Amino acid sequence: MRNRVYIGIGVAVILMSSFTWSGGWFGQKVDYNSEVKPILNKHCMGCHGGVKKAGDVSFLFEHEMLEPGKSGKVPVVRGDADASEMIRRILSNDPDEKMPKNGTPLTEDEIGTLKNWINEGAAWEKHWSYKRIEKPEVPSLNNVWNLFGLLDTGDKKWAKNEIDHFVLKKLKEKELSVSPEADRATLIRRVSLDITGLPPTEQEVSDFKNDKSENAYEKVVDRLLKSQAYGERWTSMWMDLARYADTKGYESDGGRTMWRYRDYVVKSFNEDKPFDQFTIEQLAGDLLPKDQNGFPKEQNLIATGFHRNTMTNNEGGTDDEEFRTAAQIDRVNTTWEVWQGTTFACIQCHSHPYDPIPHEDYYKYMAYFNNSRDEDVWDEWPKLRFYKGEDSARVERVKDWIKKYNPAQEADVNQFMRVMEPKINAHNFVKGDESTVHLISYYAVKDKGNARIPQVDLTHADNVVMNVSTKAEKAVLKLHLDKLDGPVISEIKVPVRDTVVIAPISKAAGKHDIYLSLTSPKMPEEWVRITWAAFQKALPGKDQPDYAQIVADYATALTKSTESMPVIWEGKGDFARKTHVFVRGNWMVKGAEVKPDVPKLLAPMPKEFSKDRLGLAKWIVNRENPLTGRVIVNRFWEQLFGRGLVETVEDFGSQGSEPTHQELLDWLAVKFMEEDHWSVKKLLKTIVMSATYQQNSKSDKVRQEKDPYNIWISRGPRVRLSAEQVRDQALACSGLISDKMYGPSVMPPQPDKIWQSPYSGESWIVSEGPDRYRRGVYTYWKRTAPYPSMTTFDAPSREFCQSRRILTNTPLQALVTLNDPVYLEAAEKLAGTMKKRGKTPEQQLSEGYRMLTFQPIEAKSLNVLLKIYQEALTNYKKTPSDVDSILVYGKEKSPELAALTISANVMLNLDNVVTKE
Amino acid sequence: MEKLLKELQHADLQRQTRRHFLQSCGFGLGALGLGSLLSSCGDSTAGTDISAENILAKIPQFAPKAKRVIYIHMAGAPSQLELFDYKPELVKYHGKDCPAEFLEGKKFAFIQGVPKMLGPQGKFAQYGQSGAWMSDYVPYLQTVADEITFVKSMHTDQFNHAPAQLLLHTGSARLGRPSLGAWAVYGLGSENKNLPGFIVLASGGRQPDAGKSVYGSGFLPSVYQGVQCRTGGDPVLYVTDPSGMNRNMRKQTIEAINEINRQTYEDVQDPEILTRISQYEMAFRMQMSVPEVMDVSKEPQFILDMYGVKPGEGTFAMNCLLARKLVENDVRFVQLFDWGWDGHGTSAGDNVEGGLRNKCQLSDKPIAALIQDLKMRGLLEETLIVWGAEFGRTPMQENRNGLVMPYMGRDHHLDAFTMWMAGGGVKKGYSHGETDELGYYGVKDRVHVHDLQATILHLMGFDHEKFTYPFQGRNFRLTDTEGKVVKQVIA
Repeated sequence: MRNRVYIGIGVAVILMSSFTWSGGWFGQKVDYNSEVKPILNKHCMGCHGGVKKAGDVSFLFEHEMLEPGKSGKVPVVRGDADASEMIRRILSNDPDEKMPKNGTPLTEDEIGTLKNWINEGAAWEKHWSYKRIEKPEVPSLNNVWNLFGLLDTGDKKWAKNEIDHFVLKKLKEKELSVSPEADRATLIRRVSLDITGLPPTEQEVSDFKNDKSENAYEKVVDRLLKSQAYGERWTSMWMDLARYADTKGYESDGGRTMWRYRDYVVKSFNEDKPFDQFTIEQLAGDLLPKDQNGFPKEQNLIATGFHRNTMTNNEGGTDDEEFRTAAQIDRVNTTWEVWQGTTFACIQCHSHPYDPIPHEDYYKYMAYFNNSRDEDVWDEWPKLRFYKGEDSARVERVKDWIKKYNPAQEADVNQFMRVMEPKINAHNFVKGDESTVHLISYYAVKDKGNARIPQVDLTHADNVVMNVSTKAEKAVLKLHLDKLDGPVISEIKVPVRDTVVIAPISKAAGKHDIYLSLTSPKMPEEWVRITWAAFQKALPGKDQPDYAQIVADYATALTKSTESMPVIWEGKGDFARKTHVFVRGNWMVKGAEVKPDVPKLLAPMPKEFSKDRLGLAKWIVNRENPLTGRVIVNRFWEQLFGRGLVETVEDFGSQGSEPTHQELLDWLAVKFMEEDHWSVKKLLKTIVMSATYQQNSKSDKVRQEKDPYNIWISRGPRVRLSAEQVRDQALACSGLISDKMYGPSVMPPQPDKIWQSPYSGESWIVSEGPDRYRRGVYTYWKRTAPYPSMTTFDAPSREFCQSRRILTNTPLQALVTLNDPVYLEAAEKLAGTMKKRGKTPEQQLSEGYRMLTFQPIEAKSLNVLLKIYQEALTNYKKTPSDVDSILVYGKEKSPELAALTISANVMLNLDNVVTKE
Repeated sequence: MEKLLKELQHADLQRQTRRHFLQSCGFGLGALGLGSLLSSCGDSTAGTDISAENILAKIPQFAPKAKRVIYIHMAGAPSQLELFDYKPELVKYHGKDCPAEFLEGKKFAFIQGVPKMLGPQGKFAQYGQSGAWMSDYVPYLQTVADEITFVKSMHTDQFNHAPAQLLLHTGSARLGRPSLGAWAVYGLGSENKNLPGFIVLASGGRQPDAGKSVYGSGFLPSVYQGVQCRTGGDPVLYVTDPSGMNRNMRKQTIEAINEINRQTYEDVQDPEILTRISQYEMAFRMQMSVPEVMDVSKEPQFILDMYGVKPGEGTFAMNCLLARKLVENDVRFVQLFDWGWDGHGTSAGDNVEGGLRNKCQLSDKPIAALIQDLKMRGLLEETLIVWGAEFGRTPMQENRNGLVMPYMGRDHHLDAFTMWMAGGGVKKGYSHGETDELGYYGVKDRVHVHDLQATILHLMGFDHEKFTYPFQGRNFRLTDTEGKVVKQVIA
């Protein structure tokens, strides 16, 4: 009798808690974000939002919905639905008045929700992702459910860490149960592929299987996190976000030396650089504290390559300013997408259509980036120069000299030798007679030609430093002050080659227009090309005997073509830019000037942060930023589970997907920021140590029906390998893979005629030796023609930041793994090992299967393989010439090896081989 | 609908953000095709009621006049003033300085200072009952004049090849948008289970300037991207088995793969495996059907002669014949690109006298043959042929670097150019729009590239304003925020 009462109460409590979860029952207030905002987005915001404010009515900002529209009536009167114009218009029967105009009418339920919401006071709320991230309480497993023994008490045993508590809570709500732990071989393959991008070795699998200690799995995880391959795997992910490529993009898509940035990312991941620091270095490495030479640390400058991955347009006739602006816009959009999971692009032309971010905010944000010195010039300046050998010695001599004679000048001179800034790019010259500024960012002038360099500050200038090239003999370039026939302040005899000249100028304080004039009577039709000019203080120590030599060293160092990579360099003083709003996104129509600031919607900019990119970077990774922690944690989660806790990893705004486990996401984000101090390794360890992650990935009828996409994670992830992993795995399992790290990108074999670049003689030169077998992350990436098997397996072109690779399953992928020589070579190599290891075909085939899947082969599968092996063997014995055709990589030519190669080709194409299970 | 497509669609559906599909309810296709889905609109948790069947319903918004498209793009942009846009006034201006009003505030790729006007180099006459003006550059096309609708008042926003090509094919000069062909296959699906729905053929030795993006799928799922069939090497990458592996053995290997995959499916119940099985079957069929459809050796001699092709050639003429074979096999969208039409006048190859004549000689006959051949087979009615380029050319002679050029050339021109269409629901023997007396600017019925796109979509049965795809929080469409259907060209 007593027992019965208890059970009765228990059931009531359970029912109640279920109902409360679904919302709205038992007198709960209407929730703006989950109930009202979706209705507004669906029916109203298209015309009354950020793009259009029909009838001067908008529901984008709180104040707007409370202000009268054109009609003088107020859309929302708090506490009084009947007095609210919005409700009147929705209910109206007059087709001219009824809302939504020409749209699907609202349902009774939707109208009810809106009315209740207004009557309850029309509470406005920030979208969930714009609210500060608070650490939620971890759900207890000692709840009413297992108190009454109604559910499996195994939950407590199953759960390994906090993640599992959050997941269990949702699973129960959805009436789903967890799956058992995956077997050890599956688990180690999964976690190896996830953490390092490579399958485990056979030894690693057997060690794990035989390790009976309690922390056997944790040991594996720790080992993987320490491996060098770890950095390479996560760099693959980061490269899509950073839109990394080895070419400039656009039509001509010529080469660009950017691999040092890629190596920086690999190293950063491997040393587990805190993610906030990783962020600051990439966004503002040039502004971080300088080294003893007064120059940014080399690694920090290389890190700024992140935003030099924007494209450069070298096509004739294009306006450098237009494409400089396009690059700035891309930097803003990419920064927002990568760290804030927000698509900012729409704000370029108008206020955000659905989220309360005003149009101006876009340009305030762009103002942080707009001072970067890059101007879409052909040579991609500014670039960090790497001097070697004799050039390096020259640079050192110049540095020593300055240290000795005027240390105050050291920073400027060193800076100019390393990044050649500041300088005036020739496309900023104003055109004069017999001259041209077209094609690719240089100014060309011939006999009797001239040009004007506007408003140069000559206060501290003793020299003009200029990059000139010509075939004209005896050409003389004169610099005039203020007018074309003004006083000559410098006269340069132009050498007949491509060089940097340094010439003294007469002293003139203040800002002046400088006119260039050229006389070239001997070869009047030959052009003299100028790429850039700089006005500098002379090197110190003029009266010293070796002065001429030092000046020559300086000029030679500047002239020499060195290895270099594009970097971000902040323009200061005359080289800083003003930022304006572009009216409706058109860069040619400039509106009001704006100062750098961050959108009010998110956290305010702390006063102590500098008002530049460095301040912005710190703001992004500040604890108060509501998006960064969530967005970044979600990215890593998505990589492991194939689906983010917010599915739209690129969009956390109100048009993105709702989080499936918001509490879990917030818990992970807070732990990541506060407890783990932005350690990615710790974050990944927490995730992979959860029981949730370690579940086996088998599905069944119930799971397929209730949760076909595994949203609630009632089983482990089962996801096709990424483009890089498909390749790397084939190379690794067959033993071909090279573990060589870093350096210029490599060119493994690809079919002919993939590269067809107009205007450049660049071609795909197949790498030899180990470079042929390196991991996919090192493959040369040409934006207009990426490595074909990569794109077939869904890699993007990297013209723009891409957060997610939407996985496809196409016949073209089958053709790659069936017929691409990379996979045939792997098959032959694998067959060789199989042959060595087994005496009978059964043994050999089982061995091959094990090398790829780490599982024993089932009898029925073995039978299928045996059959194909026998068929192939018969064929190759009958037609020995086919043996020589199929076996092209190794020395052995036997029908048996050929038949095993065919069998290995089959195995490399199996679903459980190309899938992470 | 074909089973294979269902499978493809099903696979696709698995990967795509379901939300996109859910959101597409109420827009365009969704509203018509996804009846049972409507109930789940806005409910981000419902998922089980989406069946492949529903997504598959590829019903256009209204009856299409063009079921298939062959889009012929002359990359580099031929001169309309030498071919179709007859300007007798320009003859008088030949060699004179360009009027200042043409240069005011304008930007050109190469023209500097004040260029000279360049008279038309072709001999023009009227052809067919419609009296279409054409030059002696295109003698074969003259014979099918009455099948064609000319649009002489085309204009665009971009004066460089790559962005102009992107604008024309994807509706945006920036990268990342789906191409016309991808939209077509996304909207109408594919009707041949052995071949991709969108096939690209390129000739002239180079790819289009804007690369693969001009036939990419942008933010649409990658199954909709154009598959380039190459005329040298494998027609589709890796479609050929390695030597030493005969057809029978390939068949057996694929059967073995699928058999073991089926066993895996029984164990793990992941529907993705079923998709993979069907894709391997498709791959095998493509290995047969692609080389077969790309092989013209079985075509009768008179057909080969009509196009002017010899088996084994990778020419534009060959691609025209292949285009016919592909549409005959129900490929939805065939995109031809031919490189080498950029007549600046810098060399013997790229000018509007000899160079353009040579390019026309190589393409005029096969294009006319394609129209006739499709007509003969009763395919022209439902196949839309579009011919044109990314922009036109200036009535002025190019003077690169302010110099006199060695050959007669014209610079890129965005304010006026000619395109033509035939078959697939357009008027026969009609000319739309006019340019001024020098052919510089459209003066009557100007047609922007977005208008052209809207018109092509209309012919395929879609309202371009309602045919959208949600991406990054916005509903995107091919025509961006512009475009009006040119009703006058529709039969």
